[in-house]
Amino acid sequence: MEIYGPCADNLPLILNDVLDRIKQLSSAQVASGHPKLYEHLIGRVKANDSMTEKCQRKGYPATPESALRKCRDAVGIRVVCNFIDDVYRCIDLLRDADWCTIVKEKDYIANAKPNGYRSYHLILDAVTPYQDIDGQTPGHYFVEIQLRTIAMDSWASLEHEMKYKHDIENPERIGKELRRCADQLAACDVQMQTIRQLIHEND
Amino acid sequence: MKILLAEDEKQLSRVLIMAMKSVGYDVDPVFNGQEAVEHAQANAYDVMIFDIMMPVKTGLEALKEIRATGDRTYIIMLTAMAEIDDKVTGLDAGADDYLTKPFSLKELLARLRSLERRTEEYDSDVLSFGDLKVDQAEQRLASHNSMSLSGKETRLLTYFILNADKELSTQQLLNQAWDRDENADAEDVWIYISYLRQKLQAVGSSTIIDGQKGGPYQLSQPA
Repeated sequence: MEIYGPCADNLPLILNDVLDRIKQLSSAQVASGHPKLYEHLIGRVKANDSMTEKCQRKGYPATPESALRKCRDAVGIRVVCNFIDDVYRCIDLLRDADWCTIVKEKDYIANAKPNGYRSYHLILDAVTPYQDIDGQTPGHYFVEIQLRTIAMDSWASLEHEMKYKHDIENPERIGKELRRCADQLAACDVQMQTIRQLIHEND
Repeated sequence: MKILLAEDEKQLSRVLIMAMKSVGYDVDPVFNGQEAVEHAQANAYDVMIFDIMMPVKTGLEALKEIRATGDRTYIIMLTAMAEIDDKVTGLDAGADDYLTKPFSLKELLARLRSLERRTEEYDSDVLSFGDLKVDQAEQRLASHNSMSLSGKETRLLTYFILNADKELSTQQLLNQAWDRDENADAEDVWIYISYLRQKLQAVGSSTIIDGQKGGPYQLSQPA
């Protein structure tokens, strides 16, 4: 069963287009004398079975409309930056971009989740040359973007590993340590950020 | 608290042990300076109380030997004479406090209570200021978000909170958070002020540290 219906073939194309757009944003920054925007850029199209499972979990009918309109992470991109400032710089550039509109944002950097998770999440409404599920061309597709620093990214991998390991002897204790670790990494991110600003204090 | 008592007068020793045990302290009695040194090396104490005039080794000799090993335990000397010189010698040799004989048990117990307050209540406190909390034991800053603090940042921010809304000079901050042998200067203070400012912002606190590079600086909460 193909949950994305007639739009399935468009999703990888849209993913590549948006990745290219973000690469261009970074190149333009470097060309005008600023540091590059990010260190790593990765993306994926949510697999059929994951999307089907998500629709069922949320109580939506397993249709292309649900997968592309109710769920908004069929296309997902992760931007991993060196510094916290770079995350916000990237968001500002996306805000100004003419090929997309930000329809939702969650700042888990300023408001970390209770478990310590930090990242910035955006949902973009991207205008594409492809037909969308409502039959319009140019078509509108949602793209979820997660922006984080390298430290936040490492932490999220570790937390992910813990989430899927169900035989941990003392999950509360490990959870508490993870939280403490998140606070220490956040402190390092802020410290690096500050040092960078001190270096450029008199620019 | 675990207390080492070195007092060679059996009668006085007994009375002191009774008094201290009656309020729940755990007391190891010894009867000369040499035993005091040996016990101090073998066990961890919260307080040591030494008489000065003791056989084998005086309280002063024991004190110097114990300090020479790097032991920082709080030490109270019992001086027999109200001699200023005795007190000065004891304090200079590394004692923290003294009591002049004859002293009242009430006063000794009050001093021990005051010491307990200083070590327990004042140091492991969670300090609050406006929308800000600093957990000194955890070295953690919390407001909207939370974040770790380095040891120095904790010392600095604690000092700022305890002296909120007062102007603090670079020199005062140096004395407070840096050890004398670190050769720190105004530039170091500025860097740490910068760290703290960014951290306050990152945890979403409205607290600000006012002041230009070079100081003075002031912690305040905008109304």
